[in-house]
Amino acid sequence: MESRTFKNKVQEFIRERVISKLQLAYFAVDEQMKVRGASSNLSDYGFPKLDIGKPVDEQIDFMIGMDAKTELDLPVVGSPSGIPISVSLMPDDDQLTVLISNASTATEQRQLLQQAANENELLVEQQKKLMSELEMASQELEQKNRQLEEASRLQTSFISGVSHEFRTPLTSIIGYTNLVKSDLAKMSEEMVPRIAKQDSDDYLSAVQRSSKHLLSLVENLLDHGKLDSDEINIRPKPTDLNELFRDVELLLTPLSTTKDIRFDIELDIPSDFEAIVDDSRLRQCLINLVGNAIKFTDEGGVSLKAKLENESLNVSVSDTGLGISADDLKKIRLPFFQAADTGKVGTGLGLTITERIIEMMGGQLEIESELNVGTCVTFSMPAPLIEPQLAVEQQLSVNLTELRVLLAEDDSDIADLVVMLLEEQGVNVRRVVNGALAVAALQEADFDIVLMDIHMPIMTGYEAIEELNKQGNTTPIIVMSASAVEDDQERAKGLGCAAYLVKPVDVQEILSIASMVIDVN
Amino acid sequence: MDKKKICMVGDFSVGKTSLTQKFVNNVFSEKYLTTIGVKIDTVEVESTKLIIWDVAGRDSLSPINASYLVGAAGVILVADGTRESTVSGLLDIWAVVEKRIGSVPCVVALNKCDLPDWHVSESNLDEFASRDWSVFQTSAKKGHDVETLFHTLVAKI
Ligand SMILES: Nc1nc2c(ncn2[C@@H]2O[C@H](COP(=O)(O)OP(=O)(O)O)[C@@H](O)[C@H]2O)c(=O)[nH]1
Ligand SMILES: [Mg+2]
Repeated sequence: MESRTFKNKVQEFIRERVISKLQLAYFAVDEQMKVRGASSNLSDYGFPKLDIGKPVDEQIDFMIGMDAKTELDLPVVGSPSGIPISVSLMPDDDQLTVLISNASTATEQRQLLQQAANENELLVEQQKKLMSELEMASQELEQKNRQLEEASRLQTSFISGVSHEFRTPLTSIIGYTNLVKSDLAKMSEEMVPRIAKQDSDDYLSAVQRSSKHLLSLVENLLDHGKLDSDEINIRPKPTDLNELFRDVELLLTPLSTTKDIRFDIELDIPSDFEAIVDDSRLRQCLINLVGNAIKFTDEGGVSLKAKLENESLNVSVSDTGLGISADDLKKIRLPFFQAADTGKVGTGLGLTITERIIEMMGGQLEIESELNVGTCVTFSMPAPLIEPQLAVEQQLSVNLTELRVLLAEDDSDIADLVVMLLEEQGVNVRRVVNGALAVAALQEADFDIVLMDIHMPIMTGYEAIEELNKQGNTTPIIVMSASAVEDDQERAKGLGCAAYLVKPVDVQEILSIASMVIDVN
Repeated sequence: MDKKKICMVGDFSVGKTSLTQKFVNNVFSEKYLTTIGVKIDTVEVESTKLIIWDVAGRDSLSPINASYLVGAAGVILVADGTRESTVSGLLDIWAVVEKRIGSVPCVVALNKCDLPDWHVSESNLDEFASRDWSVFQTSAKKGHDVETLFHTLVAKI
């Protein structure tokens, strides 16, 4: 009695909690797939009331294509009611029973899980695709970059090559002009009438100015090449700033005079101190900035102001020229940029180089401009002060008339020039055209000093110096080269050369170095 | 009336549900809702009542459950033309189909042809051609070749 009640209770529990929750329904078909019987709750799932004896596949769609012999488990099938059902086909000896249950709970959970998993996988796939696209794009970019770099390198080396080629002929133009000018000055009035003499002198000054200008353009081009390859070095040394600015004034006043415009210079620099700056770089910047200002000013004038205070040099170059439009102002720092319609010529490099050099000297360049009103360029840079050193002027202390110089130089124009200038000072010069001959000459005679060009046929200057070093040569050697590349200078130093001069060399420079070198020895 | 069961098979999210819905109800949704198990739709094509079983795709959690294929008169193999792996994956899926229900008539849908980054390799196309499968570039979104896809299969079964 007790156990019977318990069994009932269990059955009731199963019916209520399990079967009712599963909403079990069923139907059975015979071997011909005709309906034999069905539970009444089939309609809960949206199925029609089945006609006994009629083919099942006319009444229930999912039975189409099924046979009575195949056991099959379909875990989740969408029923006509929308409720997901689980379907089991259970074949028997002579009939097929199809059991249907509610699969909502399991399906819901499965749905959440699956949805998340699939979306995640799609994201991962998408990410992979993007990564590989990114990879490809960056490779393409790198390739392009390399090509650009190569093109720019070629351009730079072309520019340096060409400008280098220009220096040698320029050297002889400037040198010969100096020579002719000084010859002219010495000529008496019987030889040349005074008026003609004055005219010729003016013409020669014009040639001088133009060739110096050309040289500074060539130097800018060379520097451009070096900027790209980071070869420019700043070498500060004690400098008399007043003198430097006066130099610039002297050099550029003729340009403004020719254009009939004003060029004033206003200096507020204490004269009892020297500033530590790279004088030649600062000079180059000033020439570029003032030169530009004069170039672009046709009326009014240019004024250069410099003030030294708190160990900082503040410079402004203002003009009343064409001015620069706001659009062009953005591009003006690009190399080779030229505003389209100014009708002015130039390399378009001056400003780029100037700005870089000023930055390298610790300064900052600022440009303000208004179209048709004028432009003002300012910069300030550190300029630490020191007391001027005494004995700056090194007097030529050696008797030059006795100086014996060996000159190795293959360019006959330059050689002629140097010989002429040195002989004018009473120096004895012996001339050879390559390094091998220089070595030979040193073996057979004594010299006080050797002036050695680098690029020569048969044996270059460097090879000759190496050879001489091997032979224990003691004669000081001064290298003269058209190459302003730092590497070459380092190499000369490494070979124990006394000095390195960059063409165009000034004869005074040769002599003062010669006298210093000999003095020391 | 003649009644035929066909199955949509392929990887998850290639557009099996979308193609079915476009063909049966002429609707398309951008929203992705994973199909669990199978959804059954019916539609009349010419004089045939077609029972379309939109089977859950193969995915990382589960392979295709071949039980759903039993009784099918033909299958539509669906791939996503912008996901190369789903295209080459059709060969494995076909192997599952063939093992369970034999070499039933089949057509191939390379779906989502409206999208720009199409990645279907020539070697896959050659492989399909060598099996004599009819291949369609479809778009459930634009309806492109959806009708042709189903009609071609019906003609084969
Ligand atoms: N652009 C585009 N998207 C589609 C196309 N077919 C399906 N989709 C989208 O792809 C996703 C998956 O589609 P669905 O039909 O659920 O794929 P199933 O898992 O194979 O059933 C959904 O977001 C759809 O909107 C199509 O032809 N073009
Ligand atoms: Mg689906």
